[in-house]
Amino acid sequence: MNIDSNLNKLLKIVEKPARYIGGEFNSVKKNLEKVKTRFGFAFPDTYEIGMSFLGLQILYGVLNREDDIYCERIFAPALDMEAEMRKSGLPLFTLESKTPIKDLDIVGFTLQYEMSYTNILNMLDLGGIPLTKQERGEDYPIIVAGGPCAFNPEPLADIFDIVVIGDGEELIVTLCKKHAEWKKSGKNKEELYKELCHIEGIYIPSFYEPEYNPDGTIKNIKKLYKEAPDSIKKAIISNIDDAFFPENAIVPFIEVIHDRSVVETFRGCTRGCRFCQAGMIYRPVRERSKETIETLAKKMLENSGHEELSLLSLSTSDYSQFEELATSLMKMCKEHNVSLSLPSLRLDSFSFKVLQEIQGYKKSGLTFAPEAGSQRLRNVVNKNITEENIYSSIEQALELGWSNLKLYFMVGLPTETLDDLDGIVEIAKNVVDLNYKINGRKGGRFNVTISVSSFVPKAHTPFQWHGQDTAKEFRKKHMHLKDKFKSIRGVTFAYHRTDTTILEAVFARGDRNVTKPLIEAFKLGCSFDGWSEHFNNDLWLKAFEMTGTDVNFYASRERNYDEILPWDHIDSGVLKEFLIKENEKAKVETLTDDCRLGCVDCGVSKRVKCEMGGSHA
Amino acid sequence: MHRYIIRFSKLGYIKYISHLDLMRLFKRTFKRMGIKLEYSQGYNPHPKMGLAQPLSLGYESSGEILEFETVNNINDENIIKTFNMAMPEGIKIIEFKEIKAEGKSLAAITEFAEYRIKLPFKDTMNQGIEVMNFINQSEIISQKLNKKKELIDLDIKSMIKELAINKKEDELIIFAKLDAGSVSNLSPELLIKAIGDYYQIEYDRSEVEITREAITFTKKLQF
Repeated sequence: MNIDSNLNKLLKIVEKPARYIGGEFNSVKKNLEKVKTRFGFAFPDTYEIGMSFLGLQILYGVLNREDDIYCERIFAPALDMEAEMRKSGLPLFTLESKTPIKDLDIVGFTLQYEMSYTNILNMLDLGGIPLTKQERGEDYPIIVAGGPCAFNPEPLADIFDIVVIGDGEELIVTLCKKHAEWKKSGKNKEELYKELCHIEGIYIPSFYEPEYNPDGTIKNIKKLYKEAPDSIKKAIISNIDDAFFPENAIVPFIEVIHDRSVVETFRGCTRGCRFCQAGMIYRPVRERSKETIETLAKKMLENSGHEELSLLSLSTSDYSQFEELATSLMKMCKEHNVSLSLPSLRLDSFSFKVLQEIQGYKKSGLTFAPEAGSQRLRNVVNKNITEENIYSSIEQALELGWSNLKLYFMVGLPTETLDDLDGIVEIAKNVVDLNYKINGRKGGRFNVTISVSSFVPKAHTPFQWHGQDTAKEFRKKHMHLKDKFKSIRGVTFAYHRTDTTILEAVFARGDRNVTKPLIEAFKLGCSFDGWSEHFNNDLWLKAFEMTGTDVNFYASRERNYDEILPWDHIDSGVLKEFLIKENEKAKVETLTDDCRLGCVDCGVSKRVKCEMGGSHA
Repeated sequence: MHRYIIRFSKLGYIKYISHLDLMRLFKRTFKRMGIKLEYSQGYNPHPKMGLAQPLSLGYESSGEILEFETVNNINDENIIKTFNMAMPEGIKIIEFKEIKAEGKSLAAITEFAEYRIKLPFKDTMNQGIEVMNFINQSEIISQKLNKKKELIDLDIKSMIKELAINKKEDELIIFAKLDAGSVSNLSPELLIKAIGDYYQIEYDRSEVEITREAITFTKKLQF
């Protein structure tokens, strides 16, 4: 079938057809005859979201730098396009060469959030590829996964042939090169996996098989291939300054979520918030030098023509030379007539100076993330900021003319009581009062948004044993807050829906038994679960019921330290003893310092040199 | 200040990017090429750049015209080549000219646009389409939505400057020169509707291919 003529017809019918055409500036065309390994980078959401993801640009660039590898992009079609594709029998295709994904050598999915899992199944299905590796056998492409959710790959263990754990930009090239050699050899897939499993960061799920206790917990993880490693160490790029960075990023035709040039300043985070998975799995902190960042920023802007530059890291202000970097980038952006956007700033006096300069009279909203409403609970989660920190920043913001403030909190944190929630209300009230004090009763438009998300315990964090609140408990807490906020003027209260929170918890800490309800939910029609307008909880409940899955076993059950967790054989570099120690410290409301002030012995320095550990001691 | 026009084609998949996407694409391309555009004065400055007439999403074109004003003089002998290196596949610059800085915008002097339309049709009823019958009607009736979103009849004949219909085995090839611009404007969609209705052709809109071939102006562009 000719994809082009069929596609051409569909594109006249669907919304935003440019999502599906490829050919953007800096996208790569290669002679298909001359490449050995054809890799499809699959992002399980729409084009606009996927193209805003820096990881895609990095891996696309690093793979296409190799002559014998061709990396193309695959996105989840929007619902209207999917319906048309199914109706006309058009299989899911790559944007670059419009090749059906079934004809590629490797299809690699990035796992950014659990709620995208049904989209992965849907994309395989749309591509005419059987969902499980048993069904695929020797035919069909090799299906690979990576990204943060790959640190607990078990819910998708039957789907993926290979899971890539940790930093991907070197590992993915090795994987493709090994594949090219293997392809020439004519051996079967198992032979390739046997070779790959010795590489740091590569996990072959089929080489392991969990055995279960009668209560459903894991008794033991049995190895089916005895040469496979007992635990899979994540891949770590020790020197990020020398690592590949996409100076020639693809510039989308249509507006995407983040339509700008982005430079990653550092990877990892030293703060050690106990709920934060990113803060644990991306250790150690590795910084790019200021000079490299400046050079990259300049080149990226020149090569893209973008109007905006942004920096990416887990905590912008923690960069060692942040003041110097911000100052020099501000100057550069001004010269190039480009706006600068600095996300997740710690709001100290320097940041305000920067924000004043880059936002000028067009002040966007300011966001604060105290995470918890009381000092007690902030100590529990190790969010090392005090009430004074919060109020003094807010005072400055108000004095400088910001009138739209947003405060983020979490509900359902370990040890949380209604008193802690009342603390959120208290903070909101105090912010409103501060505004009256500074701007007077007629101070013009002013709004505080209090946004609460629901806590999802994640694998590889100190709270990985914690039993999540039940839907009922979440609802009670939301209602409690909603009630209290009713009477406060100038405050907008927003909270997340509970059903997706529970689902996220099931897949964040699920074992191989949650694959069945996942497949069932997909078959019942679930996709785009992260989009509230598409999410259908009834179908999910039905899928759990049909497969006899106890949601509480995964979400709200408290685990003990002796239990073998489904992801225990995945080694993030952070020791389990450290996570236990942190969880115990949480129970007694004790803080652990930022590890720049002194190494906290998380274990990662045993793997690689940890340059920031103790750097500010 | 320097004022230029470029004539370019927009062919292939890139026909699915919208007018605004295309404007952003040009803006970024100029930036990549180091060409500094003039900006309008005021609270919300925007670059001085515009198409003679926006092209509908899904239409190809072999003769689009963009005008733009730059701060500095462009003196690159191979400017067309330089442009084409910086452009994505599907956009090709055919002509580059400096024009007089004074004068109305191209949009204001646009008069006609020429389209080539491929309308698939199956002569199943063997109705024997006689193309001249359509063209020779005293009025050509099409339908469009008015502001109240009601379908109203409209005589489009006076807005058709030239029309030729060529009957092929399974498609009609239509060439039409239609009013374009701010004074009088006829969308080819209305013409297609009129033809489809007149001959009672059943067709799927997704199979119709439209290419704009040229835009002409009330006065000759002053170079």
